[in-house]
Amino acid sequence: MKNVAKKIYLVLIMLFLYLPIGVLIFASFNDSKILGKWNGFTLKWYTQLFENEAILNSLRTTIFLATLSAIIATVLGTLACLTMNRMRKVPKSIIMSITNIPMLNAEIVTGLAFMLLFVGVGMSLSLSTVLIAHVTFCIPYVVLSVMPKVQQIDNNMYEAALDLGASKAYAFVKITMPDIMPGILSGFLLSFTMSLDDFIITHFTRGSGFDTLSTKIYTEVRKGIKPEMYALSTLLFVTVFVLLLLVNKKPAKVTERSKHAKIKKYIAAIASIAILVVGIGFGVTGGAGNYTQEVYVYNWGEYLDPEVITMFEKETGIKVHYEEFETNEEMYTIVATGARNYDVVCPSDYMIQKMIENDLLEEVDFDNISTSDNIGQQYYDRAKGFDPENKYCVPYCWGTVGIMYNKTMVDEPVTSWDILWNEKYKDSILMQNSVRDAYCVALSKLGYSINTLNENELEEATQLLIDQKPLVQAYVVDQVRDKMIKNAAALGVIYSGEAIYMQRENDDLEYVVPDEGSNVWIDGWVILKESENKEAAEKWIEFLCRPEIALMNFDYITYSTPNDAARALIEDEEIRNSIIAFPDNTILERCEVYNYLGSEGDDLYDSYWTRVGAADSE
Amino acid sequence: MNNDKLIDLVNISKSYGKNLILDDLNLYVRENEFITLLGPSGCGKTTTLRLIGGFESPDTGKIIFDGKDITELPPNKRQLNTVFQKYALFTHMTIAENIAFGLKIKKKSKSYIDDKIKYALKLVNLDGYENRMADSLSGGQQQRIAIARAIVNEPKVLLLDEPLGALDLKLRQDMQYELIRLKEELGITFIYVTHDQEEALTMSDTIVVMNQGYIQQIGTPEDIYNEPENAFVADFIGDSNIIPATMIEDKVVEILGTKFKCVDEGFGKNKPVDAVIRPEDVILVEPDKGIIKGKVTSLIFKGVHYEMEVMANGYEWLVQSTKLVPVGTEVGIDVDPFNIQIMHKPESEDEEAVALDE
Repeated sequence: MKNVAKKIYLVLIMLFLYLPIGVLIFASFNDSKILGKWNGFTLKWYTQLFENEAILNSLRTTIFLATLSAIIATVLGTLACLTMNRMRKVPKSIIMSITNIPMLNAEIVTGLAFMLLFVGVGMSLSLSTVLIAHVTFCIPYVVLSVMPKVQQIDNNMYEAALDLGASKAYAFVKITMPDIMPGILSGFLLSFTMSLDDFIITHFTRGSGFDTLSTKIYTEVRKGIKPEMYALSTLLFVTVFVLLLLVNKKPAKVTERSKHAKIKKYIAAIASIAILVVGIGFGVTGGAGNYTQEVYVYNWGEYLDPEVITMFEKETGIKVHYEEFETNEEMYTIVATGARNYDVVCPSDYMIQKMIENDLLEEVDFDNISTSDNIGQQYYDRAKGFDPENKYCVPYCWGTVGIMYNKTMVDEPVTSWDILWNEKYKDSILMQNSVRDAYCVALSKLGYSINTLNENELEEATQLLIDQKPLVQAYVVDQVRDKMIKNAAALGVIYSGEAIYMQRENDDLEYVVPDEGSNVWIDGWVILKESENKEAAEKWIEFLCRPEIALMNFDYITYSTPNDAARALIEDEEIRNSIIAFPDNTILERCEVYNYLGSEGDDLYDSYWTRVGAADSE
Repeated sequence: MNNDKLIDLVNISKSYGKNLILDDLNLYVRENEFITLLGPSGCGKTTTLRLIGGFESPDTGKIIFDGKDITELPPNKRQLNTVFQKYALFTHMTIAENIAFGLKIKKKSKSYIDDKIKYALKLVNLDGYENRMADSLSGGQQQRIAIARAIVNEPKVLLLDEPLGALDLKLRQDMQYELIRLKEELGITFIYVTHDQEEALTMSDTIVVMNQGYIQQIGTPEDIYNEPENAFVADFIGDSNIIPATMIEDKVVEILGTKFKCVDEGFGKNKPVDAVIRPEDVILVEPDKGIIKGKVTSLIFKGVHYEMEVMANGYEWLVQSTKLVPVGTEVGIDVDPFNIQIMHKPESEDEEAVALDE
């Protein structure tokens, strides 16, 4: 009886530990993009993975980085152990504790500290800064696994070797090294593993122009449903799992010769990793090609057809280092601290305003961008809301915030924000979990400006949001899209660009910009003041404004393009005249762009939004 | 045994930090001698051995080996080999590889090495162990391999640092005979370090008793046992009754208020001395027939003999005898004059340590 209970307990624990990973692995073999819907077994995500040059590149970078940092950390860590071992007991234990602390330190603190250090000493973030960071956080693991072996070193054995005629170096190599070798090997493997799967520290210290697998997975998954990433994560998990098995594997005690063979096998495994790495390492450097110029681009995730980059590089001979960000705020921090050097960035309206006010932007020389006329004048006019003289920004994408609804679940016509307060749809409403978008809904409903700083108006809007809370199923960001596709909600607040994509996936969905008005947003290309490749940056913008290129991007990202010439090229009449993709002026006139409210304004909105979050939903 | 000095330690001093380990030590070792450095831990015996082996260098003084100054020579250039206390076998190598280690460094031919391995394993009675791993052997076997590994290099001197210390009693006794046999067969010099007086007495040609960095006495095992030159040696070698006494005149010593006959001369008259009487030399007789009277206060059976304590004239005498005398029995104590060893009384603590250092 007791045994059965024990077994059940064990199974539960195992489930608890491995169920999430099990789901991930399961999803990586699912023919359907939608989680929870099994369309049959497939390996297509894996094949697609290995056809994706960007992912293969990040794989190379990851392995190169992991190997190099593991080798350096192993050498340094082992030397440190040997030195520490010669110290007296008290200083030794102090130093041991000091080396162990970084291991327990919150990774985010370590990562942030590294970023500050590198930026502080004027090193721009790059592969080498990541390497330094990785070496540093790997050393404690090496010390941890080598030190016990070093402490067990029988000094008698070393002296016996000297006694038998060995020189000091010979005795070290022949006697001491083999003795601590298991520790060194597991230190190496542990470092390799730690470096391989590190995300946080890499995220903070990486420079523009490259991704490791973990940062790649992060950016890709943030963009939406990416089963290739499930496949990649599965592979990463399996690799780490195997490595850890290797580390923990204790060679059985052997009385006869065969022990040697085992050690040799062990070494062979490491050697094969090394060969793999050298090959891939060559790939990393070999990819550089013969480019005369380069340009560092910082764009939203999933906001450009990758093919466009290849075409641009081929035509201009300019190497593109392409990086992605998730939020305007994240981008701002990176750019404003100078942590990474970019030339051309694609922020949103209010952020552009903030960057102008903080003198981060260079005026765009429109004479050098002949294709800038392809952008419709109405969009330049609208951009004046944040770039009053149209000096800094070339619009790239735009859209509205509106309501997506499921025609089978909502029977009345949707024309007003009021429907989001309708008791009938309790628990079927999805709101955006972002302060500006939430207040956009409430303020528009009340007929106030979405940029208001009037506390009475904000107070009113806040009360409205609190009243709405019991009806809301969830406050989410990306999941609005997934949930609505799966018919898991009737109504959701969403960006128009997402709406087109969602309609492709689910015919029952419809998008509307309510009559009270809403937010119209514009993302545009700006050139940074610190840019060292202004000419290349201008060429980049010029290229993106070409009608055929803008069309490629529109097809890929489905967000509305301000490029009138591109719109004219759209073959599908339904889309060309889509009221979602290209709302007419009557709709646009109801809409307002977000303005930068200053840090006090931001704080004000945040403090009200916190009250909404804290309010009891019942 | 010839009288040539093979190794000569001249005015050696060595300290670690503030700890003085050896102070102006002078010692020579003759060719083909089995010499044992004997003393409690911390007496400097191991340091002396390590100086000879080259693992330490002296602060002052020099080491002459076969007429040449080897003070600064590293261990791998010295013509001697060491057998370590904890065997120090190379655990990741086979027995054969262990034994071949020194020979490979000397670039000997393969057939020479193979022959030597066979010969050495035979010598230590472990034929056929070539391919075993070192840590699969027992302690005694490992120690024999350590010896084999050392002697294949044909050293002139074999240094042995408490080689039997980690073995159990029975094995230790067997290995003592083994070592004596080995030394006879090899005909080389053994310098042996131990804190076990029995080991020293059994195997050595010469014993060097050391304490606190000073040599206390050098002599044959018989000399050291029978004629300890000071209280430390007497106390350290076997059990002893060391009793404060007064030398009345030549051949007469007053012990605990009673005059005893002895054979020692030249201490002067009425001089305070120590009298050393081995417990097996104390003879228990009828109360009236002894020199002094006493009473048995404790009794322990020790196998070969009984060990008793006898209270007489305010001193608890340690007595070993094959005859049982029950506790409480009144006895007389008698001692043969030859068995009373008279020693100078040290006048200070320092002198107690130095004592004999002429």
